[in-house]
Amino acid sequence: MMLSKRLQPMIFQARRAYVELMFQVMGRALQAISEVDDITRNETRTLPVGFLFEMQVMPNGPKLIVEHTGDGCLYFHGDSAPRPVDLSIQFKHIAHAFLVLSFQEKTSVAFANDRMLVDGDVSLAVRMTRVLNRLETFILPKLVAQRAVKEYPADLHLPNKLMNAARIYLKVATNLVETARA
Amino acid sequence: MTHKYYEFFCPVKVIAGKAALEHIPFELTGLAAKRPMIITDKGVRAAGLLDPVIAACEESGLEIVSIYDDVPPDSSTTVVRDIAKVYRKEKCDSIIAVGGGSAIDTGKAVNILVSEGGDDIAKYSGAGILKHPLKPFFVVPTTAGTGSEVTSIAVITDEKKGVKLPFSSSFLLPNAAIIDPRMTLTLPPHITAATGMDALTHATEAFTCMAKNPLSDAYATAAVKKISQSLLKVLDNPKDEDGRLELAQASTMAGIAFSNSMVGLVHSLGHATGAICHLPHGLCMSLYLPYVLEFNLEDIRGPLGELLLYLEGPEVYSATPASRRAEASISAIRKLRDALYKRCQLPRTLKETGKVLESQLESIAEMALDDGSIMFNPKEVSLEDAMAVLRRAWA
Ligand SMILES: [Fe+2]
Repeated sequence: MMLSKRLQPMIFQARRAYVELMFQVMGRALQAISEVDDITRNETRTLPVGFLFEMQVMPNGPKLIVEHTGDGCLYFHGDSAPRPVDLSIQFKHIAHAFLVLSFQEKTSVAFANDRMLVDGDVSLAVRMTRVLNRLETFILPKLVAQRAVKEYPADLHLPNKLMNAARIYLKVATNLVETARA
Repeated sequence: MTHKYYEFFCPVKVIAGKAALEHIPFELTGLAAKRPMIITDKGVRAAGLLDPVIAACEESGLEIVSIYDDVPPDSSTTVVRDIAKVYRKEKCDSIIAVGGGSAIDTGKAVNILVSEGGDDIAKYSGAGILKHPLKPFFVVPTTAGTGSEVTSIAVITDEKKGVKLPFSSSFLLPNAAIIDPRMTLTLPPHITAATGMDALTHATEAFTCMAKNPLSDAYATAAVKKISQSLLKVLDNPKDEDGRLELAQASTMAGIAFSNSMVGLVHSLGHATGAICHLPHGLCMSLYLPYVLEFNLEDIRGPLGELLLYLEGPEVYSATPASRRAEASISAIRKLRDALYKRCQLPRTLKETGKVLESQLESIAEMALDDGSIMFNPKEVSLEDAMAVLRRAWA
């Protein structure tokens, strides 16, 4: 009883650290796939230029902010937005963000389960959910990705996926290095 | 371990049955409201549906201070602002919306302005902006379909910007929904049919989509049963008060179900078709329901099979092998559509509507993919999938 009480802050810390790290990875990966993947770009291209998208843990938890800079390209702003965001997907609690970002609960299920809410244009949220699904199929092994998205795309064959995933990882890595330098 | 979690909320007092309208004065007094305003449309007034509402209030010494009867089918920010102005000038203290989806949504939006202040309704657009309860608000539905009397959402068109503004807050829910069979007694056959199919779709999608939960399931199945038992009966005998009440209650129950567990692809396609081809919402639901269920079939076999009990009754259900029940549910819905076509020519295919061009299918599909309700469809939908469903629904 007492022990679990003492352990809890550590679990909280670990969970928060994991969510922050995943937001970093996702933000960079979103930027990367928007540069290399045509299907993603077809989705993102119609977003307004300068469109700011945020994922956040309520009330003041970790954040991820990306901007559509035009022609489908997304730019990762880290956790601070240059101006008020246009669309925000908010997790009600960090525990819910952890469920989704550790791929125990699909994004669409999390919506259905009232784990998160949308502030902004719902049709843009639907579009961004598809982009996130696409992202998850790229950066995760197939088995995990199947859990994370409703359906694993049939047109995503292994070599193609591996090639793209390699490029994305590469991009994520360079981006991390660049940030470290900056 | 399951990650299943759900929320269910419906604080609307339902006042239903014979002489339900006569409860309005008492209910208003209970909320300290003395100067109600009625918000409605010309059709409702011309059909004489306001008369029993006004008479019920006057008999109790409660004066209806103002009546606004010019709500258009697609309500706008200008209309909302104008009504709020009248409300303030007449020093009203409560709202009674009498009508279908548009009058009810308008009532919700006016209630925001007169409670929160200001003239710019766009300021309150979005989710969770409102933080306080609004003025006393009653809804008297005159169609049995939309379920708007129990939803926390309103949609108002901003004509200047040409966009639809969504408003979502539990404070938009009315204090009471008054379901009186007199209000739907004169509904013409094709509207009775289309709105009935809208309610059936609400219940079916609530029961088969991703956010289904035990409480909404109970409302959904009860609604399916009432609609299956009463829709054709009422079309054969439009003055059947009991049947009308059954349909009106079913619509409210289906509304409670879907406002808590959402709808899916039928609505995504229906919203897009409504926007592009200007077909009535209920008709769109009827057009797509069986084809979307076929598309979702392997993901919803269990719940769809269960619905057979409510669609066809215990005999058919028990005589159908468990492995065939989902298909039998789809057949039952097709059979119902055929019966509606026979009685009031409610179209069964896009072609039969005469208002959709085959060349429009692609833009319908594209628009449907960005509709919020697609998020809750149990099966992921690609552009090709949406096109395949549309082609099946074509002819
Ligand atoms: Fe509907």
